[in-house]
Amino acid sequence: MGLKRDVSLSTGLRYRGPAGYLTFILHRIGGLGMGIFITLHILASFVGGRFGGAINGIYENWAFQIFIFFCVMFHAINGLRITILDLFPKLLDYQTEAIWIEWAVFIPLFGISVFVIMQTALGG
Amino acid sequence: MEITVKIFRYNPEKDKRGNYVTYKVEADENDRVLDVLEYIKGKVDGALSFRRSCAHGVCGSDAMRINGRNMLACKTLVRDTGSNITVEPILGLPIQKDLIVDMEPFFDNYKKVLPYFINDSPLPENGRERLQSPEERARFDETTKCILCACCTTSCPSYWANGEYYGPAAIVSAHRFIFDSRDEAAEQRLHVLAETDGIARCHTAYNCTVACPREIKVTKAIGEVKMAMMTGKLD
Repeated sequence: MGLKRDVSLSTGLRYRGPAGYLTFILHRIGGLGMGIFITLHILASFVGGRFGGAINGIYENWAFQIFIFFCVMFHAINGLRITILDLFPKLLDYQTEAIWIEWAVFIPLFGISVFVIMQTALGG
Repeated sequence: MEITVKIFRYNPEKDKRGNYVTYKVEADENDRVLDVLEYIKGKVDGALSFRRSCAHGVCGSDAMRINGRNMLACKTLVRDTGSNITVEPILGLPIQKDLIVDMEPFFDNYKKVLPYFINDSPLPENGRERLQSPEERARFDETTKCILCACCTTSCPSYWANGEYYGPAAIVSAHRFIFDSRDEAAEQRLHVLAETDGIARCHTAYNCTVACPREIKVTKAIGEVKMAMMTGKLD
């Protein structure tokens, strides 16, 4: 007798991991976001008409575009960091620093992108 | 100082699910969490169950989640946790009672990587030890420190999702022998780690490195094994 080993999503998310754990979670959210975007895009093209137009309206919305831009950019930059560390394991001595560099690259790039999207959206 | 300790409790004879019980006890800031648990078991609630043995960070028996992160209770001081402490069992292994988990699945995975010295060649001519240079020894020095406490494996989200994944501790043990110049079964171990539930399930969350009470650079060891697998070289 005993409790099963199952770890729920909420229990897993409550684990107090290091900075790398946050990037791990955001990487998954990024992948999921891109999947949702592609699915909506294909669905909109496939069904067409008013329903297709309504789906277009979702992913052409500026708020959704910011979310998708976050997903794509974070997934790409984080993936690049993981690839570099996988190819050069000696750099894993500096894995925390690598995560700080990743944020230092991501934040300004994403900030500029958000600024441009917002300017276009609000400027008409 | 008075501290509040919230402990996960589960009695398989009575409970269908676990619950938390809160205790208020006196403790010194230099006490270890293990001392606090011993006090509660000895003076407040004798039914509280947890593993402990050496109590000096060597045997690895008292791995548990303290304030949401895997640690050894004997190496964690009250002054580092603060006056509110939450103690829970490590994740991903079946809970037997309170803070005690079934370690069998962990050791089953560990055994898969052949965690022992393999060398079928004849002994050197003088019939004595197989010599190794200090540099060759240093190559795997880091991973000899593992005490199999399971802090790393049970902090790994890939392991939470799939208990068949060998886990960081097994890969660290494989690393210890793969890079030992006297061992002859590196290829065999790399083959085992190339299985579906092997090293490919490491998704670099890095929880393992932070959780390791022996400060082994677990992800670096995993990275070196990945590279050995890709290149076929042990340099």
